[in-house]
Amino acid sequence: MIVTGYVLEIAQVALALLLAPGLAGFVRWLKARFQNRRGAPPWQPYFELRKLFGKEVVMSNNASWLFRVAPYIIFASTVTVTLLVPMIVAPLALDGMGDLLMVVYLLLLGTFFLALAGLDPGTAFGGMGASREMTVAAIAEPTIALAIFSLALSAGSTNLGRIVTQELANPAVTVSPGHLLALAALFIVTLAETGRLPVDNPATHLELTMIHEAMILEYSGRYLALIEWASWLKLTIFFTLLANLFVPWGIATTFDPAALTLAVLALIVKLAVLGGIVAVVETRVAKLRLFRVPELLGASFVLALLAVTSSFLLK
Amino acid sequence: MNDALFSQLSTLGSSVILLYGFTLLWRKSLHAYTVAFQWQSIALTFLFLIIGYFGHDVELYYVAGFLFVLKVLILPRYLGKLEQRFPGERESRPYVNVATSLVVAGLLVLLAYAITRPLVLVSDLPTRGGLPLAVGLIFVGLFVIITRKKALTQIVGFLVMENGIALLAALGTYGIPLIIELGVFLDVLMGFLVMQVFVYHIHDTFESIDVDQLNELRH
Amino acid sequence: MIFFLLLLPPLVASLLALLVRPHREFVGWVSALLSLISLGAAITIAAQTIAGDVPIWGLTINSLGLEGVLRADSLSALVLVCITAVAALTLFLSSGVGRTTHYDAKQLRRYQIFINLFIAAMLLAVSANNVGVMWIAIEATTIFSAFLIPLTIRKTSIEASWKYLLLSSVGIGLAFAGTVLAYFDFVARSGRVENALNWTTLMATAPLLHPEVIRLAFVFLLIGFGTKAGIAPMHTWKPDAYGESPAPLGALMSSALFAVAIYAIARWKAVTDAVLGSSYSNNLLLTLGMLSLIIAAFSVVRAKNYKRMLAYSSVEHTGLICLGLALGPLGAFAALLHLVNHTAAKSLMFFLVGNIERAYRSPLIERVHGLLKVLPQTGGLFAAGLLALIGLPPFGLFISEFALFRAGFALNQPVLMGITLVLMSIVFISFIVHLNKMLYGAPPEGVITGKADRLWNVAPLYISIGVLVVLGLTLPAPLATLLKQSVEIIAK
Repeated sequence: MIVTGYVLEIAQVALALLLAPGLAGFVRWLKARFQNRRGAPPWQPYFELRKLFGKEVVMSNNASWLFRVAPYIIFASTVTVTLLVPMIVAPLALDGMGDLLMVVYLLLLGTFFLALAGLDPGTAFGGMGASREMTVAAIAEPTIALAIFSLALSAGSTNLGRIVTQELANPAVTVSPGHLLALAALFIVTLAETGRLPVDNPATHLELTMIHEAMILEYSGRYLALIEWASWLKLTIFFTLLANLFVPWGIATTFDPAALTLAVLALIVKLAVLGGIVAVVETRVAKLRLFRVPELLGASFVLALLAVTSSFLLK
Repeated sequence: MNDALFSQLSTLGSSVILLYGFTLLWRKSLHAYTVAFQWQSIALTFLFLIIGYFGHDVELYYVAGFLFVLKVLILPRYLGKLEQRFPGERESRPYVNVATSLVVAGLLVLLAYAITRPLVLVSDLPTRGGLPLAVGLIFVGLFVIITRKKALTQIVGFLVMENGIALLAALGTYGIPLIIELGVFLDVLMGFLVMQVFVYHIHDTFESIDVDQLNELRH
Repeated sequence: MIFFLLLLPPLVASLLALLVRPHREFVGWVSALLSLISLGAAITIAAQTIAGDVPIWGLTINSLGLEGVLRADSLSALVLVCITAVAALTLFLSSGVGRTTHYDAKQLRRYQIFINLFIAAMLLAVSANNVGVMWIAIEATTIFSAFLIPLTIRKTSIEASWKYLLLSSVGIGLAFAGTVLAYFDFVARSGRVENALNWTTLMATAPLLHPEVIRLAFVFLLIGFGTKAGIAPMHTWKPDAYGESPAPLGALMSSALFAVAIYAIARWKAVTDAVLGSSYSNNLLLTLGMLSLIIAAFSVVRAKNYKRMLAYSSVEHTGLICLGLALGPLGAFAALLHLVNHTAAKSLMFFLVGNIERAYRSPLIERVHGLLKVLPQTGGLFAAGLLALIGLPPFGLFISEFALFRAGFALNQPVLMGITLVLMSIVFISFIVHLNKMLYGAPPEGVITGKADRLWNVAPLYISIGVLVVLGLTLPAPLATLLKQSVEIIAK
């Protein structure tokens, strides 16, 4: 039983890694369609990964060991988060390893090293991207913690798998004000953390408007492949959190194959729907000027705060 | 079961109403404020209807009707006229900036929760969960009046505060006696009309509706 | 029935002013005469309550809760007499009533309409049995007075009225929140009863209400109605509003409206004390009263504008009255007596100040010299009024302040009384200094002598001074009974 659990965890990671580029490509393709373009096919990112892994790494002479190590750390931390997020099965076999706080810390670890890597080669754009990223992360990370914490309050545990199982057992709680507020807050934070409009334009080629892209301008070859894959994986993780923490139906609570297949299909459907929503949002809004991003994130912080308050005091 | 649904709906409604109040701190254009106030009043009307239905109180249907006419139709229309008269006015530099205002507002709601704990314990109505949100909205309205510079924003802040008080009455006591409620509406309408007249006067004498300019009366 | 005679005259006067376009002088005269009817009605009500009768009136329309909607007990009667007396004085001394005026017909018409509505609203507030009706009437007073402050539209008057309007509306809103909370507690206790919002019902069921909720409700109510009364720190609108409004409105606001606000606070205090015992409200009133005294004392020292100086003096007296209300039955007696005296003195001062401003064309103290030479009668009365306000004998305020100190010492609060005495002496000295500057010396250039000072203009004010002197020498028996009965109502 437990062996099956661990096997499922590994399978979950593999599934996430497989789906991530597809999800990013799907969102990109949808946006292109909305803008009346043909757009690259949704599986273009896979080709990009294959191309990048085959290319040679070109590094600046000023880069230190950090520059070489950072992509691995970023990739590893993001993959570890996948182990802790309920994607197809809840509760998870590796539940004891970490909970909500661990997830937040791991994400922050990745962001931190990415920022350092941006600073390392000493280029102007890298430094600019790093400082902007830190501005965003400073408000966004506590908001993630608060938003999921409000869910944890009503479930009685900060363990993500437990939260999902409690929600399945008690469906009425998913429309409580605390949950809805947390959903709104988490959605805004997702847009911020994964570098989507209105916070950051993932398709921009103008360096002065970049946040995430600016930090990875110096990377090439397999390093760039790992970092891009990690960022797509982060997108998948956030979407999974949004989907499974707020609309948990479809997730498997037992290990029998039918339930698992259903869970995988349900996950793909939810991710596609969320991808569609994000594509619509990205097409509709304009990018916010940088000094207004804290206003948006402040609003999401307050929403999360209110979510915690309602969950805490309205039990 | 009915009670639980009633409770959920009323809390949900109150949260939506409070969130529209936050919009006043987040957005900067006067048009946004008018729209937020209008939607908040629509939500409040629905809430009155819900409470009237579940609480078996026919009076609340009348109150909801008057509320709709006054706060969704009449007042926003006057606000719209004011907007047209003073186009392009934006709350671009309030006394407290947007991010800080939002955080302070969150803290005010926490304060409201703390203060209204005895109320929630004392009441046994299913709607008692939304009481802290109503008091929170009153505080947010007050905060808007204190920290915003444009006279129009202060008026909308006042109207939002009145909405908060109406919400408090609805949640705590299923509304106050009809006659009093009507008198209150009349007062709100008159108060608004007076304030509106004053905004025109302020503009005519000061050539701006920046309350900051009203600083001639010193010691 | 008597209530019709009380409330209808100002409404009729207002209607008349509305209908007569353009404004004619007879409107002012009719309005003044009608106010005498109200005064008579108020005195009759007072006589009835002294005799032990409590006039009640209501409509029996079921489900609208209007039974016994108007009710006047001793406390109401006391305040009604104050209001109608000042109203009569105001209307007789208004611009355009047998005197030269610098207002045009439109302004006079607006003035007559709104001042009568203002008076009617105040009378309704005090005679209402229903807490909600009282609130509506007080909110109406804010609105009507806001129309009157900027009778002449200029930057400062617009600024003053905007601040007044906003601050008062917010205060009234908070008072309403407090009312709703009290009602909420009542409903939580006894379910929704007819007439639940009547004073009589509230007092009767008071022992059953929840202490924590009433604690919160009283805070809201005190802040809300305290804004209307001008208790620090919510007093900031007073100097601006009194400074900019025309003299008659200033008189009404500083004496009558003030009395209404104190009335509301006193009534709610009675309800709160029945639930919580008096120490909670006493502490709150004590703190706010002392704060008002401190702020007022230091503001009077720095005052440069004599109208704003009167406003700060108002804040000082507000502080004294709050202090009195917080000192048990003896203190409440002193506070109510002080209210009556203050009404007479403050209204007097504002009328005089109107004359002075018209003659000197400036509200600044440094521009006013030689008052006794320029306006002998006004100057003399002004001096007398100012001395009355700082509590010198033989004027009534001395007696009421003495009673206040007696109450304070009887309750073992020597330190508090000591501080109060010090603060009052600061005000005393500042007033005397300002008064000296204004009364003596050579009049500045271009000041018209004697024009505004004819006997006709000032005669009614001798009545005010007379009242103050009478109250300073003795306490007439009817007034004493009325006061005693009122104290029974608010402090057991």
